Amino acid sequence: MIDIVLAEATGDVTDAGKAIGLALGVGLGATGAGIGIGLIFSSMIQSVARQPELRGELTGIQWLGFALTEAVVFYGLLGSILAFVLV
Amino acid sequence: MRRALFLIATLALLAPSSAFARGEFDPTHEFEQHEWVPIHIGPLDLSITKAVVYLMLGSVLTMALGIVLMRWRVQVEPGTRQTFGEQIYEVAQTQIAEQGLPHKAIGRWFPYVATLFLFIFVVNLIGFIPLPLTGETYRGFPVWGIYAATSSLAVTLALALLTFVFTHFEGIRWNGPVHYFKSWIPDAPKALLFLIVPLEILGQIMRLISLSVRLFANMLAGHILILTFIGLMFILETVILAPFVITVATAFYIFEVVIVVGIQAFIFATLSAIYIGSAIEPQH
Repeated sequence: MIDIVLAEATGDVTDAGKAIGLALGVGLGATGAGIGIGLIFSSMIQSVARQPELRGELTGIQWLGFALTEAVVFYGLLGSILAFVLV
Repeated sequence: MRRALFLIATLALLAPSSAFARGEFDPTHEFEQHEWVPIHIGPLDLSITKAVVYLMLGSVLTMALGIVLMRWRVQVEPGTRQTFGEQIYEVAQTQIAEQGLPHKAIGRWFPYVATLFLFIFVVNLIGFIPLPLTGETYRGFPVWGIYAATSSLAVTLALALLTFVFTHFEGIRWNGPVHYFKSWIPDAPKALLFLIVPLEILGQIMRLISLSVRLFANMLAGHILILTFIGLMFILETVILAPFVITVATAFYIFEVVIVVGIQAFIFATLSAIYIGSAIEPQH
């Protein structure tokens, strides 16, 4: 058993570490952005349900907030890819 | 239905999968820039690459769009074409320019912001239309592919630099240099200022990075996503995946074209308007 584990570990461990780092970076970034986008749309629904006449004004703000939050994933993605390629 | 699926699967298995194999497939190769027309002036590299061709196409199309929709045969009672142009204009005015720019500056900066919106929208959109501009040939025919000029950081950084320069230029022009740079210092206890002021300056530079990286990474990730899913067929060298792969790639394609393309152009223009507006009127 120990022999097998040792044999497995002699593969390219650096690549594995990089891949784990990439996945963690993108995954955690996506988690945060997912929560944020959910909050934005939920408050949009609540606002429109309370005051439907404000829909036009709120739509612009909603998409602004959506794009600002969504971009966070890509900062994580970019940083992770940089780490994956350069390190 | 089940029999048809079984038949398709059998046929797919029988199909010579080696014909599908293109050897090593790497989606990132689609984003490499090759010099098609090398132009070198001193240390400057002004070569015409794929991104440059797409930008030229985008500028021509933007101008054509503006002239056809908003200038050509304008009537008092608008037809469909003119109504469409007026709607774009209205979005640019009420949703973008009036969101950020103060009233006294709209006349001067509305054209810039509206141009940004239209130009980025067109460049993003032609990035999702297959064009024979990949630079590769297959048996003498040009290979058709998708590529967006905005998925190159150089392009988006140049656009963001324009906004960055205009922001501070306008801030200094309207407020004077002393008053403008003083407005960067917030109301805070004096002891904390040495911490807050560097952060504020860093924030101004981070705006440049976030503005450019947001557009760049969005377009790059969208294209890589679509290409990777299509490329799964070539990486795994099988056609069985085709129904799955094509469905997912189409879903992402529709998401990108319907939502991301418009939103990113809108965001870039709106944020430019907000940045310029906040520099013109620092105390809000």
